[in-house]
Amino acid sequence: MLPLLKIEWLKIKKYPAFWWMLAIVGLTYPGVNGMTYYGYLKATTGKEITNNLAKMFLGNPFAFPETWHSVAYFSSFFILLPSILVIMLVTNEYTFRTHRQNIIDGWSRAQFITSKLFDVLIVSAIVTIVYFIVAAGFGVYADSTLTHQWTKQLQYIPLFFLQTLAQLSIAFMLGYLIKKAFIALGIFLFYYLVIENIAVGYARFKLNDIGRFLPFEISDRLIPPPVFFSRFGKDAKASYDHALSLIPGHVIYTILLTAATWLICYAVHKKRDL
Amino acid sequence: MQPVLSLNGISKSYGRIHALKNVSFDVPEGAVFGLLGPNGSGKTTMLSIILDILKADTGSFAWFGLPGAPETRQRIGSLLETPNFYHYLSAVDNLTITSAISSRGNAEDIDRVLEIVKLSERKKSKFSTYSLGMKQRLAIGAALLGDPQVLVFDEPTNGLDPVGIAEIRELIKVLAKRGKTIIMASHLLDEVEKVCTHVAILKRGHLLTAGEVDIVLANEDIVEVSSNNLDQLLSVLEKFPGHTHIKQDGKLVQLFLPVGTARLEEINRFCFEKGITLNLLLVKKKSLETKFLELTND
Repeated sequence: MLPLLKIEWLKIKKYPAFWWMLAIVGLTYPGVNGMTYYGYLKATTGKEITNNLAKMFLGNPFAFPETWHSVAYFSSFFILLPSILVIMLVTNEYTFRTHRQNIIDGWSRAQFITSKLFDVLIVSAIVTIVYFIVAAGFGVYADSTLTHQWTKQLQYIPLFFLQTLAQLSIAFMLGYLIKKAFIALGIFLFYYLVIENIAVGYARFKLNDIGRFLPFEISDRLIPPPVFFSRFGKDAKASYDHALSLIPGHVIYTILLTAATWLICYAVHKKRDL
Repeated sequence: MQPVLSLNGISKSYGRIHALKNVSFDVPEGAVFGLLGPNGSGKTTMLSIILDILKADTGSFAWFGLPGAPETRQRIGSLLETPNFYHYLSAVDNLTITSAISSRGNAEDIDRVLEIVKLSERKKSKFSTYSLGMKQRLAIGAALLGDPQVLVFDEPTNGLDPVGIAEIRELIKVLAKRGKTIIMASHLLDEVEKVCTHVAILKRGHLLTAGEVDIVLANEDIVEVSSNNLDQLLSVLEKFPGHTHIKQDGKLVQLFLPVGTARLEEINRFCFEKGITLNLLLVKKKSLETKFLELTND
């Protein structure tokens, strides 16, 4: 296992697209969260009574411990960035025909898929580390008097990791099965951004929210919209609590879906001509 | 002695196209085994099957008496079809990966093989900056890592310049002398003829013949003779006892005899006694090209 990990790390660390992805994620995560934070500050600083009301109702979403949740939620919109890298990492093997060479040189077919699983694990871990640093940074910056609360809501770190792993696994499978980077990316984008959003939205009102079992939505529900989104409206509190109560179930569904994703890849690779 | 590789009734189809039909043969230890055939005859398909890249529809193969497995592939240095490397990595990084996957060689060995294939000066350059010939050399270098006992080369001189081709031919001879078993696919017959001890000929997925080069090629002896008066020579040789047929080839006459019956001194004496002085007399092995065209022509 360790040699496999070392080989994959060598492939990844010397791949320029990896550093581009890391740089873009490193800018995007603080950027998008910073914009939201700026919006929050604008709404809550001022002499108007509404400003104070807002502050009272919202709490500070970027102070500890709420920052773990808020930053995870906003950052997770950008799964697209590491997905591009994951798709490139697998389609590269086809382009360079190294998917054959690795087998010729002595890997089993299962080892090849395991090596790709390591790719996805490495990228997920690195993205999670960036999230962790950004969330912790906002926590300290937003309200340093609350830093003692940093240990609360730490569950969002493994949840963020699991969500990233699950969604990148789907991206991987698309790249693995389709073999062509641009087609795989196109399908990924179109499905992730358009089709599933429409389907989930439709199902929420018409089909008893059955859309939560769609491939990306299963893991999207691991990190529901943060609490300050829900402090408006009559049923908001109830729906927020409901969303929280669904998380444990979705942890299991996500793990099952991710396991199934990889099992399909292992099964296909065992049979397929390379 | 157990064959290094043995194929047993291998068949493979791509849809309606039969790429290989019931192919069986053995590769003995220490052989330089040439696999010949026109384009599309199934050479690469066959090599892909024995390297576990493609799955045979029926039949089986064994390396060292064992069914194909990652452990057996690790013992074989292979170059299949094209040089396959990570374009953004250097030669050293690429070979580090090959070495890690195959458990063949180490850092010192990587330097050694790069020296052999003359890439030492460019070993830190990215693969994508290499010329076609350099890529091919790197692939040969990768196959040589860890000095494996068995080598599989698919068109090893593809993309190489004349000097490069001669170098690889020398390299193969040196490896063969050291007792390595080499399986080599090629359509360059000249190349195969110069280095191979054994040969198998494929055509549209059928195995036409397989065996030692001398046996495959030599089903008759050919003696080339010449003199100043070709017409006279022809009419005299017509009477030479034991020949099968005679052919004029430019300024030469080719005399065909059953295998092992060509005795030059007898021919020389026969002609001299009939008043003809020869200015050329030699036994010619049938060239692989002749044999190949004979077998593969419809």
